[in-house]
This record gives sequence, C-alpha cells and structure tokens, in this order.
Amino acid sequence: MKNNRQRIAVLLSALALIAAACGTTEPETTESPETTAGTEGTTDTAAPATTVAAAAEPVVVRAAITGGEATLNPYTYVSGFPGWNLMMLQYDALMQFDLNGEPQPWLAETITPSADLTVWELTLAEGVTWHDGMPVTAADVEFTFKYFVDNAAGRFARDLKGVESVVVHGDLGLTVTLSGPNPSFELAVLADVPILPQHVWESIESPTDHAYDISTNIGSGPYMLTGFTEDQSYRFAANPDYFRGAPEVDELVVVVFGDDSGPLAAIRSGEIDVIFERVSPEQIDLLDAQDPIDISQGPEFTTQMINFDTSKAPFSDLAVRQAMALAIDKSTVVDILYLGAATVGSPGWVHPGKTVYNTDVVAQFDPAAANKLLDDAGYLDTDDDGIREFDGGPMEFEMITNSSDSLRLRIAELTAEMLADVGIKVNVASVETATWEQAVWPGFDVNNGRNYDMAAWGWSAPVQANTVRIAELVHGDPGIGFLNLTGFSDPEVDAVAEALAGETDPAVAEALVKELQVLLAERVPFILLAYPDGAYAYNSDVYDGWAFVAGQGIVSKVSLLPESGRP
Amino acid sequence: MKRLNKQKLMQYAIVLFVAVTLNFMLPRVMPGNPLALIAGVDVGLLTPEQRAQIIEDVGLNRPIFVQYLDYWRSIVTGDFGISYRSDRAIVDIISERLPWTLLLTGGALVFSATVGIVTGAWSAWRRGKKSDLSMLTGMIALQSLPSFWLGMLLISIFSVQLGVLPSFGAVAPAADFTGGAYFVDVIKHAALPMLTLSVLSVPGVYLTMRYSMLEVLGEDFIRTARAKGASETRVLFGHVARNAIAPVVTFLAIRFAFSFGGSVIIETVFSYPGLGRLVFDAVSGRDYPVMQAAFLVFTFAVLAANLVADLLYPILDPRTRSD
Repeated sequence: MKNNRQRIAVLLSALALIAAACGTTEPETTESPETTAGTEGTTDTAAPATTVAAAAEPVVVRAAITGGEATLNPYTYVSGFPGWNLMMLQYDALMQFDLNGEPQPWLAETITPSADLTVWELTLAEGVTWHDGMPVTAADVEFTFKYFVDNAAGRFARDLKGVESVVVHGDLGLTVTLSGPNPSFELAVLADVPILPQHVWESIESPTDHAYDISTNIGSGPYMLTGFTEDQSYRFAANPDYFRGAPEVDELVVVVFGDDSGPLAAIRSGEIDVIFERVSPEQIDLLDAQDPIDISQGPEFTTQMINFDTSKAPFSDLAVRQAMALAIDKSTVVDILYLGAATVGSPGWVHPGKTVYNTDVVAQFDPAAANKLLDDAGYLDTDDDGIREFDGGPMEFEMITNSSDSLRLRIAELTAEMLADVGIKVNVASVETATWEQAVWPGFDVNNGRNYDMAAWGWSAPVQANTVRIAELVHGDPGIGFLNLTGFSDPEVDAVAEALAGETDPAVAEALVKELQVLLAERVPFILLAYPDGAYAYNSDVYDGWAFVAGQGIVSKVSLLPESGRP
Repeated sequence: MKRLNKQKLMQYAIVLFVAVTLNFMLPRVMPGNPLALIAGVDVGLLTPEQRAQIIEDVGLNRPIFVQYLDYWRSIVTGDFGISYRSDRAIVDIISERLPWTLLLTGGALVFSATVGIVTGAWSAWRRGKKSDLSMLTGMIALQSLPSFWLGMLLISIFSVQLGVLPSFGAVAPAADFTGGAYFVDVIKHAALPMLTLSVLSVPGVYLTMRYSMLEVLGEDFIRTARAKGASETRVLFGHVARNAIAPVVTFLAIRFAFSFGGSVIIETVFSYPGLGRLVFDAVSGRDYPVMQAAFLVFTFAVLAANLVADLLYPILDPRTRSD
C-alpha cells in the first residue's frame, strides 16, 4: 500500500506543477505597458466590429499578419513584406514613397545630388525627435550609415558600402560622398534605410546575435511599439508628436496568425479590421460582397515566373527556352488563375506600368511556332509517345514549387499542361518551402550553383522596383548577378546590364533599359508569367483611409497619416 | 522491486539517449538553411564574407560532434541559447508556450477520457444492439476526420456564422483583462481548439474502452458477480468497468503524449501560441536551437506519459504489482 501512496503522491505533484505553470502565464500575457490610446470597444473579440469612432473616441485598428516578425527592429524583422513595412512604421527613412511609388523628401527636407550622382547634400527636417524625446540629428544619420555596414545588415548595407564619406554640418546638414555614381541611391538607401538613434544602438556591439526586447525600438516614426507578445500580437501607439502630424489611427494592434486562412475567417467574424497580406484572387469578390468589408486593389511589383537551369541541356539551348516561352499562354494564367487580378508578364522583365517599359516588348503565345522551333532544332518525338526526345531520353523534367503557396502550385500545373502540348513533359513536385529554396538558391548564394531542372518562382517587389538593377538578375558573373538563379550567361546582355547599372544620365539609362528588354525577351533567361495585383481587405466602418502606394500596397505609414501629412 | 526499477530506469535512459540524438540529427539532415533567420534581413544581399561571419558567430561552422556535445551540455545546464528567429532566450519562449499546450492537451484529455469511457462502456453493455452499432459507426467516421478540416469547420460555424467564440489566439489581443474576465477570456479562446483535439481523441478512447469491456464481460468473475445477485449497475461499474479501465489508461497516457504532436496542426489553424505552433514555425525556418529544445520537450512528454502509465497500472490492476 505504501508504494501506491508514493505513486499517487508523484502523480499529484506532477499535476500541481502543470497547474502552477499554467498560472504563471497570467501576468506574462497580460503584460502590456501603458498606452496613450484606450482600448474600449475592442475587447469583445467575438462581437461584430464597432461602428465608426466618434470624434472623441480613439480609433483602434486590428490588423492581421501571417507569421511572427520577432521584435520588429531593423535587425529582427523576418520578412521583406510585411515585416519591413511594419518595422518602418516606427522608423523614418530620409525619403518616403508617395502614392505613385516615387521617393519624396521626408526626414531629409532637401536632397541635392551633384550632376554625376556622387555627392549628395542633405538637410534634415527641423524639430524631429526620437520617441524618447531626444532630437534627430545629422550625427544619427552618419552613425546609421556606418553601423549597418559594420554589422552585416544585408538589405541596408549593400548600397551603403558605396558611401565613401559622410560630413556633418551642424545639427541638420550632411554631405554624403559616394565612391562612384549610384543611380539607385534614392531607392536603395534614402527611401529604404531606417535611421537609427545613435544613443540607443551605439551600445549594441553584435546586433545579429543580441537578445532584444521592445525597449530597443526607439525610432522617429509615427508609431511606437508599446506591447509585444511573441507570435500573438504587437501593439502600436500613435506618436502624437510626429513631425508630419499625429496619425489618424490612435492604436494599431497587429495580430499574428499561424496560417493564411485564419485572417479570412477573422475579418468576416469582425475580430480584425484589416489584413496586411495579399488576399488570394478567388477571395477578392467574396470578401468585397460582404458588408462592411472593402478591397483596396492595385498593381504591385511582385513577380510570378518559371525558372530553369540554363547552364545545362536542354535549357542551355536558346531554341528550347524560346519554344517554352511561346508555348505558355500568360494571359490564360492571368484569366484563369488570377481571375484577372494580375498584369500579364512581360518577357522583358519590366512591369508595363513603369515609365521605362518598352511597349514593343509583349508576351507571345504561339504553340505552332514553338513546335516548329523544337522540330527545327532536332528535338523530335521519335518513339511517338507524345514526348519529344533529346540526348537519348524523353524531354521530361521536374518542376518544383513550394507547398505553402497553393496558387503557385496551380500555376505550375497549368504551365505543365501547356508545355505538354508542345511535347515537353513536366512533372510538378510540391515541396516544403525551405527545401524548394535550397534547390533553387542553395545557401542563398548563386556561387553554390543550382539543384533543379525547372521551378515556379517569384521575386518580392523591391527587385522589380529598381529597374536599373536588372544586372543582378541576369549577369553571368555571380558577383554582379547575385540573384541570377537560372545560371543565365550572355555576354551581350551582360554588357548592356552593366552599362545600365552605372548610367547617371536618365535619358541614356532609359534607352539602355529599353534595349535590355528587347534582348531579354529574345534570350529568355526565365519566363515571366504575371505581376499579381495587391489586394487588401479592410473593414471600412473602422478605418477607410488606406492609401495604395503603387507597386507596394497599403501597408505603410502613408495609409495612417492625415492627408496633410502624406508625401 | 529494486532490480526491476533499475532495469526500467536503464530502459528510459536508452530511450532518452536515442531520442536526444535524433532530435539533434533531424534538423540537420533536413534540406534547407537557417541563415535567413539568423541574418534577419534579406539574406540574398549578404556578401559571402558576411555569410561566413554569421555562420561563425552562431557556431554552425564547428565540427558536428562538438555541436552535438553542446546540445547535451544545454540539456544538462538548461541553457538552450537564443532563437535564430526571434533573438530571445529559448527557455523563456518554451516556458511561455508550454502552459498553453498543456492547457489544450490536458483539457482535451479530460474531456475525451470522460466521454470516451462513458460511451465505450455504454456501447459495450449494449453490444450488438442498434444503438451500439450506430455509435460504433459514428465513432469510426469521427476518427477519420482530418484535424485541420475539423478545425476550420468549427471556426466557420462558431466564429464566422454564429459569432459566439473567437477564432484565433489564446487571449483577446490588447484587451488587458484581469481576474475573472481574464479566466473567461482564456476559456473562450481555448474552447474551439480544445474541442477539435477532443473530438479527434474520443473515438480512440471509446474503441479501447468498448473492446476492453467486451473482453471483461466474457470473464468468469462477471458471471459469478451476477450469480451472487449484484445489481446490473453494480456489475457494470464495480466489476466490468473497473477491470476494463487499465488498457484505457495506458491508451490515454500515450494519447496525451501524441496530442503534443497533434497540437502542431491545431495550434496553427487556431493561431494558438503553444508549443505546436512554435515547432511549426521553427521547422519552416530551420531554427535549429528551437527545434532541438522543443523536440526535447516532446521527448520528455512521451517518456513522462509512459512513466505515469507504468506507475498507475499496478494501482488499477493488482495482478501487475511486483511485490
């Protein structure tokens, strides 16, 4: 009997431990520092959203994202979208994108480049303060430029490496000298790099493996991060002293979902007010039909494409690449799979909405011409099984796609059917995201080569936004073409792309971009299928000031500022 | 008794060793790369030197055996380092997450045990009758439901259509509830994921209980009990159910450990901040240290569940007592 009692005692104490552990979560999860805005009216999550806030009532918006973004500072945010966008609510760059997607003076009030784009004179706006009340000075900008270069911040360091010297004049003046002309300096540095407060970051010696909490998140932006529960929610309070005017939304609560179906259910049930992720095409009309949900839709610069390893046969053969490009009907992809909510891909890479787009370059669909190209090049169906032969075997390839993206899987399947019509058999394999990335872009370094035949792939908006940078995508030297995932190499393309990257005369640069588009359409380094639209669902009763920045969508400080404060 | 304990202990030690080794190996044999998480910013834009520097900073360039020993050291000292993804101490993360998962799995265990045992006993008692057969069919149908589908169905009914229960999270975001209101909020948020986990566990408990009951019903001592004039209720609960419960307890213990695995899907569907979702996110991004630590918790959960079953068995079934 004694044994039994001991056993029961062990069990009971184990249960007590579990109960105690559950108890301890209470203070942790309810922890949330004092905020400037109240939260009345948002507490009952199951109830429908409250109606438009009266003048006196604080406006509280609950937004949904999929996947956590850690503590959302420049070294911890996880995704390029919406992570960078949410991070930038707390910080300012020297320039800010306007609704047309053009950078405008922001933290820097005046920006004067020299004619050869190597010397940039900047003057910061007066009276801007950090969230802790300290003034924003030119010394902070100098510190930021150096800090990102010294501490391996890929996105921000890349173009900052070209900064030769920064000379500070007084509190607000700066002269930035580049080691060579950089036409991308506005897009890649001035409008992209968050300016850090020196007094907060100078004590952080190793930012990549520093243990952070939200006390580091001091910026100059319109929102202050006041609460963070990992993988659950972020709480942003409006910065009433923001230099462009106090934001319209007093509190922004960002809820972290585990998968992308969660936000769709939650916006219908009124538990959230806006989705900070693109809504899939088949959901657009469904959501829009429901009151009070509206959709903000517009063209964006993300891309949907088919990659192949051009360093090996038969993809090394231009005729095969051209035939595949002719065999795939991009309009059908846009009509059937995107239900029209996309722009048909241009074979010259450049989005047709951009001013430098070459109108002569348009997608072709001609299966007969594709068949003829393949026949003429000797890829014949010798055993009459509907699949052409090459090198003693059938033209049969695997196309990999990532399992987390169901639309991309359908795109892969549809293009496989189109290629089958010209005698190329493609087997679609849906693999886990990290596996797919590792095959297409091993170690995120093109020097490591490639481990795939074909892949459905897509780039985020910044790659398309910066047109002068096409060399990154197609140049044969991995040092320049560090995004060249198809192993493409063509001396003529290299020469034009290189000239473009260094060209400071806008007129010459435009001529070069147009020439390059013609070349790419002919040499087919990849097949561009579509530029999907951005579509964002929001509850218009709660807040309807969402502003769609061309190419980038609604997740930016522009959406939350009063009209008078927008760029 | 002493000898047996030592033997049992040895078994547990071997299982622990193998499991820990696998926990270490699995993340590393998966294709993919944690670099994107460590760097925290667009990794394709790093220079090869910067990449090498980062790999060195986190010690991934050390020989694999050194890293393995380091994992054992972290198990002994309880210091699992910093998550690649969130740059926070892993011990803090796990202690935040574990209680939520225990709440879901524990709640589901109690619910499914109660419902499963009662319906299983009832069904066996009426074996062969229409009610038994329809119950049996219903349970088998229930068992074949995919968990994510059931979760989405419940969200669609209770959150979207009826609007009575929240569809995501463990507490209302930014609501600052305290005391009783906090308790109610936690229960409301746990309701749907707990129900999903429960519904998926009930059929197993039911089937085990029903089968075990049928076995016992055929035993001689039941006939004896009836012969000596015991009431039907007394025979059912005092004799049959009591003797049939032992295999069900073993089943529940193992089921509890397995529901940790099941929580990966349920917690993702309901965006619940438990250990399952942590594992899902860690695996997606190849967050090695978090994977290792979270898998270790799973390992301990399975071992603990077995230990509980081992300890309980002799209480429930005197024939298995060794003394």
